[in-house]
Amino acid sequence: MSPSPCEQFERMLEEQPDGPLSAGATRHLESCGKCNALWIDLEAIRGAGAEWGSAEVEPPQYLWASLRRQLESEGLIRERPAKAGWLWVWFGAAPRWTVAAASVSLLVIAAFLAGYQHAGSKSATILPLHLSTSTASPRLIAADLGKTLDGDVKRVFDSLPESNPALANSLRENLGIIDDMIADCEKSVREEPDDTMARDYLYGAYEQKAVLLATATDRSASEGQ
Amino acid sequence: MNGGVGSVCLRVAGIALLAFCVADAGSAQTRRFERHFTVQGKPVITIQNATGRIQVKAWDRQEVSITGQRGSGNVEVDTEQVGNRIDIATRVSSANANPDTLRADYDISVPMESELQVRSDSGNVTVDSVHGDMSFDTVAANLSLQDVEGYLMVKSIGGSTTCTRCAGRLEATSISGNFQLLQPTMDNVHVQTSSGNILFDGSFMNRGIYVLKNYSGTIEVRFSTNDSFDVRATSLYGNVINQAPVVPDRHNMPAPRNSYAKSLFGTMNDGRAKVELSSFNGTIKISKRE
Repeated sequence: MSPSPCEQFERMLEEQPDGPLSAGATRHLESCGKCNALWIDLEAIRGAGAEWGSAEVEPPQYLWASLRRQLESEGLIRERPAKAGWLWVWFGAAPRWTVAAASVSLLVIAAFLAGYQHAGSKSATILPLHLSTSTASPRLIAADLGKTLDGDVKRVFDSLPESNPALANSLRENLGIIDDMIADCEKSVREEPDDTMARDYLYGAYEQKAVLLATATDRSASEGQ
Repeated sequence: MNGGVGSVCLRVAGIALLAFCVADAGSAQTRRFERHFTVQGKPVITIQNATGRIQVKAWDRQEVSITGQRGSGNVEVDTEQVGNRIDIATRVSSANANPDTLRADYDISVPMESELQVRSDSGNVTVDSVHGDMSFDTVAANLSLQDVEGYLMVKSIGGSTTCTRCAGRLEATSISGNFQLLQPTMDNVHVQTSSGNILFDGSFMNRGIYVLKNYSGTIEVRFSTNDSFDVRATSLYGNVINQAPVVPDRHNMPAPRNSYAKSLFGTMNDGRAKVELSSFNGTIKISKRE
């Protein structure tokens, strides 16, 4: 049985993540809302990544290491294959929901950067120079990326199996708990920018949100089969 | 005549009832399942069950026995033996069925030194007397461990965990789940929950490391007068209540910068174990065991 146009499109993304779209793929995008949404998400992430690079905004090294360990442990990333683009490094041969999970992890970084930005000038002394001197651009990137990824979060939760309401209810309830916690921690970091413990809690809250969304992604994929 | 009609009605009703009971028993019989696998040494058992009870207990046979009941014909139980690994999975064959019928309950007996990997979404998980490494990945399922020993890893979203007489090492995280560690003999404990409570009621072992962290809720550790530990407890916006006769910390730990933080740094006896307790806005209690 030949693969569906959507499968062909995803395979093309995996094989040529940085390449231009073929005419066939462009035609498919015009007629398929699902693949079009995926393409828009990837473009937004790609654009955000490029802007990050140009603004020379880098999160702390330990954050990358932690994120990489988390993604590797969940099998979301693997060794870079020869001649592969940056997208492959992050997403590997990723299906739709894996992309969403990895996107959420990117949200962790974005929010963390946004948190640093909110900390403002008072925290400048404890931030790396290239981070503390950056201006409004990263904050806008974080906001845009957050908006894009919120769409993925919604899609993940919408795809949870209806046959297990306890699962869906628990995940939604706990997402609410985490979101409240993030709001409290952000407020605390804004009020006490030099408080490392408050920042640790904020980072931990985002990490837990990423874990929760990875779990939701996992359950929606495995139980929906 | 009336008596005759009444008698016939009674007989018909009796036959109908009997037929119903036989059909129901037959249906229950077909929903029961039982499998046996012979294993050697330390087998690995993986269990995936979205909804339903899982009860695992150790026995002295080199055999894995799986019995249980399916909620309906809309779920299937798949089992497979690959060498010394036994995979058990519940598979939904008709996702449109009533959620109540999609459960499967398991009673599993395993050799004492088995390794377990359990994944459950809702329903309780109980493990009794197994001495092997085990990991649990749950969403809303509650977990109850008794007399287990090994490297225990728990990842839960909303389910609570009770660990009674557990030994070895524990790494556990949850978002809203509670943790109760009762009479543990563990020398390495890392527990983190966001809105849940944490209770550690047991002795701190020499050279042990105990890190308990939450966001809100209560963290309570109970000590006896013989316990020897360094304690570092901080609640950023909550409270620290201490009954331990600690002496001031000898290591000159820096205090948190936050002006609202409540903290306690100190040493009891020789300070052989290390206890770190932290909360964002919850209460930390260091209580004397009665």
